[in-house]
Amino acid sequence: MTGFIILSTFIGLIIVSFAAIIQKKIADSIILFMGVGLGSVVLFYLFKAPDVALTEAVISAGISSLIFLMALKHLGEQK
Amino acid sequence: MFEFLNQPEVIKNIVIIGSMLLFFIGLFGLLTRKHIIKIFISIAIMETAIFLLFIGLTVKLDFIAPILDTAHTNVSNMNDPIPHAMVLTAIVIAMSVLALGVSFAIEYFKLTGKTNIDEMNEMRH
Amino acid sequence: MNRRKISIKRELPTATLSGFVLSALLILTILNILLQNMPHKIETAGDLLLKLNTTEGVANAVTTVVVYFRGFDTLGEISVLFIASMGIGLMLRSNTKCNIKSESNFMLQTASKILFPVILLFGTYVMIYGHLSPGGGFQGGVIIASGVLLLLISDKAFEVPHSVIVALETFAGVSYVLIGLIGLLVLDTFLGNFLPHDISQMGMLLSGGIIPLIYIIVGIKVGSEMSMIVQNLIKRSDDV
Repeated sequence: MTGFIILSTFIGLIIVSFAAIIQKKIADSIILFMGVGLGSVVLFYLFKAPDVALTEAVISAGISSLIFLMALKHLGEQK
Repeated sequence: MFEFLNQPEVIKNIVIIGSMLLFFIGLFGLLTRKHIIKIFISIAIMETAIFLLFIGLTVKLDFIAPILDTAHTNVSNMNDPIPHAMVLTAIVIAMSVLALGVSFAIEYFKLTGKTNIDEMNEMRH
Repeated sequence: MNRRKISIKRELPTATLSGFVLSALLILTILNILLQNMPHKIETAGDLLLKLNTTEGVANAVTTVVVYFRGFDTLGEISVLFIASMGIGLMLRSNTKCNIKSESNFMLQTASKILFPVILLFGTYVMIYGHLSPGGGFQGGVIIASGVLLLLISDKAFEVPHSVIVALETFAGVSYVLIGLIGLLVLDTFLGNFLPHDISQMGMLLSGGIIPLIYIIVGIKVGSEMSMIVQNLIKRSDDV
């Protein structure tokens, strides 16, 4: 069952990251990128690395989204 | 039904192929997108793929995490702690470097008002 | 003739297609290399360090590798973090005082006062228990910085005092190097474990010698640098 969960999480990560790349709006792209962080947290936990999972959860939820949203607030949606 | 997916060789191949696909999705975005925030997102996706490959190459799923119990010194069934330690610091460094790049982009936008990388040609002449 | 060639070239999305082709070629090459040479040797690289880890009396093996076996690299990495924080402060400096444009939500203001001590307590717990459970200085520092982020977005007048950050960061950097130099004097290795680290004490809070001490120092340094990064990013956005 663990192998199936790993496989499906990888497929979901690939779909979400490709959607984040090809979105027209930057805000959608940023929100889908947070989904990439969530999926990698699940995979790190399944790979028996709880330290790395905790770090990735804190970074991708707290600081990384703030950085991208502040960049969006300045740079705007144009082009 | 999905029992064949639990073999170590199959899981290793899933990790290698999946993280390589993720890495090259990031590289594709880096080469083809024009907005600078999209390029930073592509770089972050590539970093995530590298971390997943680094941890997944040495994992043994029937072993435990590298944390000992009280007065328990049997280390024969533990995962390798070295990739965990390297990835742990690499995540924090990658985030701070990303913040530095975003701050460069913000200052550049304040000065010139450009976000498309094809128009950033002040140094050409 | 010439014009038709140009028009054909413009119709094809050449950048997209070349990106696809280059990505496909590289993915085939690297998959070939990785799938043919299955890494059997690197799987046993950490066994020696796991055996050595039990002599230090620290439960979490990742902490021992980060702080003790690779302690010099961690010193370099927090220096990289310091330089990145300094560059962000230089780039996003704001000379004008931020003008309060809009008050934040009432619920956010009230909840942040309740939540900030809890986040601070959790960050300190993760930092101090880094040698016993998953966690440590890097994670705890970032958790504390996200608590500071909550205060910054709820209260427009709040600002982390710069002198406090300077004092904390100087204290952390100097004491990291000083502990390493004391180890060099006592045990002839940089960052030698000169405090008592008995194997029978494993699992207690006071175990592992200098290892939890150094991880707390790393946590203080990472927390102050992350707080400065967050504050610079948010305060700059106020005076648009």
